[in-house]
Amino acid sequence: MKTHKKVKITLQNVTKIFGKNAERVVALDGVNLEIYDNKFTTIVGPSGCGKSTLLYLLAGFEKPTSGGILKDGKLIENPGPDRGFVFQDFALFPWRTVLGNVMFGLISNGYDKKQAKKIAMDYINLANLNGFEHAYPHTLSGGMKQRVSIARALAYDPEVLLMDEPFGSLDAQTRKYMQEELVKIWEKFHKTVVFVTHSVIEAVYLSDIIVVMSARPGKVKAVFDVKIPRPRNYTGEQYLKVRKEVLDYLEEEVQKEIEMNNT
Amino acid sequence: MTGKGYILSLVPIGGFFLCWQLFAHFGFINIALFPPPTKIFTELAALFHQEIAGHSVLLTHLIVTLKRLFLAATEGIIVGIVVGTFMGLSQSVYRFFDPIITWVMPIPGIAMAPLFIVWMGFGDPTIITVGAIATFFPIAYNTSTGIRSVDNQLVRAAQIMGANKARVLAQVYLPWAAVYIFTGVKLGLARCWRTVIAVEFIAAANWGLGYMIWDAAEYLSAGVVYGGIILLAAIFTFIEKGLISPFEKMTIEKWGMVRI
Amino acid sequence: MGDGEDLKSLQAKNKVSEIGQFIAPFLVFGLFWEIMVRSGIANVQTLPAPSMILHELYVLIGKKGVLQCHIYHSFYRLALGYVLAVVAGITIGTVLALQKDLRDMFSPVLSLLISVPTIAWIPVLLITMGLGDKTVITAVFLGGVFEITYSTIAGIRSVHQQQINAARIMGVRGLGLFFKVLLPGSLVSIMPALRLSIGYCWRALVGGEMLSAMIKWGVGKMIYDARFWNDVKVMLVGLIVIAFFGVLLDRIMLKRLEHETVEKWGMLVER
Repeated sequence: MKTHKKVKITLQNVTKIFGKNAERVVALDGVNLEIYDNKFTTIVGPSGCGKSTLLYLLAGFEKPTSGGILKDGKLIENPGPDRGFVFQDFALFPWRTVLGNVMFGLISNGYDKKQAKKIAMDYINLANLNGFEHAYPHTLSGGMKQRVSIARALAYDPEVLLMDEPFGSLDAQTRKYMQEELVKIWEKFHKTVVFVTHSVIEAVYLSDIIVVMSARPGKVKAVFDVKIPRPRNYTGEQYLKVRKEVLDYLEEEVQKEIEMNNT
Repeated sequence: MTGKGYILSLVPIGGFFLCWQLFAHFGFINIALFPPPTKIFTELAALFHQEIAGHSVLLTHLIVTLKRLFLAATEGIIVGIVVGTFMGLSQSVYRFFDPIITWVMPIPGIAMAPLFIVWMGFGDPTIITVGAIATFFPIAYNTSTGIRSVDNQLVRAAQIMGANKARVLAQVYLPWAAVYIFTGVKLGLARCWRTVIAVEFIAAANWGLGYMIWDAAEYLSAGVVYGGIILLAAIFTFIEKGLISPFEKMTIEKWGMVRI
Repeated sequence: MGDGEDLKSLQAKNKVSEIGQFIAPFLVFGLFWEIMVRSGIANVQTLPAPSMILHELYVLIGKKGVLQCHIYHSFYRLALGYVLAVVAGITIGTVLALQKDLRDMFSPVLSLLISVPTIAWIPVLLITMGLGDKTVITAVFLGGVFEITYSTIAGIRSVHQQQINAARIMGVRGLGLFFKVLLPGSLVSIMPALRLSIGYCWRALVGGEMLSAMIKWGVGKMIYDARFWNDVKVMLVGLIVIAFFGVLLDRIMLKRLEHETVEKWGMLVER
């Protein structure tokens, strides 16, 4: 049965090379990929496979060396408020309160203070941070900071949400909690999400689509559709099946990456 | 330091002055060179009461110096932060100013004074300009370091949220650099007042604390010399404790960004 | 291998371009300055051209031979004052570090004294010591001694009691304890102060020379006297000399010492 999937972002033959001559690094080599609208897509791969680079290209923080990235048919070349980004290290502004941080995108996009405050508070509620809106980031725990980060990225309603190993800095308990919270939030809006992680467990729990990347230079190795209904069970049969499939593919690439580093 | 600590620490200082007073009283020390504290106080008081054109001489000296300090500091801080910001944002501006800072910053302000006396004459213009120059350097240097050290993730976060270049500068670069700018301003102010006093020694025409002290030294009026120095120490302590610390508390300490 | 050679020549090229980039602003600025003066836009009396300054430098060193004399006298005073400051500072600092009562008594006085600018002491020195060499040397001494004392106290107090105990058990006492344990252990605090102080002392030297009317030689004196002849060339030469030695003293002299001791011992943590 064919499902109707609208393509939101297309990566056409995207190559990214860093450095020159003797020190050049080919991070991505001819990546072709489609990101579908309203789907949760996760990119997994061994260290150094370029998955974060790919996300940076989608964000517009970097430009491809060759090839192009199209969103709704238009070329992505610069960062802009049609997208949201959640960083692994939170990247909160330490001189702004939680509310100040979440309001930042809204004010930058022309909302007046009153409106911005109201919308920001809605998202702060959504992230279960009530009562902390006037706190400064340095007083918050890692998990709370990341929730602020997510609220901040969602507040100005971007079309696409990019998340770069957002739970990588958190301890295992918090991480699990955040995964569950993220699913709850996502179920509300069904935003187009591109999520990068090296944890297959996380990927299978969260995503509709899993993209496995090869070791450097990065290429798309495999794409999986994950059709398990949410919320998913970490020990369910379907979950474990998909997990094994993805892991098998990933293992190969991880091995290659280890060998590369040992030569 | 707690209140009690303050009082306790005054004991040795008080004791020191007490001994000084006693030594002078009993003739152990030459009172021409080391007039007792009481004499210092009376001489300062005399200057305070002495009037010229209806104003107290001592206060006039004080106000003239404070005015110069204020102007020199303001000029130095503004130019320092502006130049420092440009240095931080542009590699070519940085490369232009960095060698100048490296080589000119170590020159003591007083050494530049004769040059500026030739160019600008005695009095305010020279004193304020040299003071401003001395203030400028540490501020420009620290500001540029702060701006260059900005966490790129914060810049990216702001960019993707739709902030334009001006907003990124004002809302990300400058708050981040604030810690460094504070350090720079502290250093700059310290240099400012040291330089202003020193330049007043040789470039002041008739007024200023530095001039007052120097003049007193030339006339071997030791009481005024010591009195002047004590006044200087008092003013400096006031500026440090009374102005800068509270300001720091309100900003960088609240944000959890205190570094040094 | 081909790659290795490529890397070396690349590094050499980088070094050359680095130096070039460093000098470039000076050259551009100097050229601009020269043109401004030669073309008559800038008054040659108030702002002599770089070529004239260099010429003056040559004259002062070669023909008149006075510059060396000035520099010699300045350095003589600097060295004397600095050494005295180091010896006194470390001695007093050690005593205060080890004797709590003395320390409690004198700490606040010390903090107060540090905050008085060295230049402010000079009128006092002029009254009590006259207008000659002694005053300048004392000014240099005062420039460095407070800083060194302060950091010696901090440094010695930071030496772990364990290390002192270990030495004591091995039979080390008194002066031996000082030189073998306390001093090396406190170096990590004292070294930055020694570096800072040489800068303070240099500045105190220049200030002192400018204000001491009875001395004949000295870089500061040279600049001060030049004012009476409105001789901007000499002043600029003097400023260049001051800047040059100021940077030299700070960068090279003590960086070396720091490297040989504290860095080698792995004690330098925050860099």
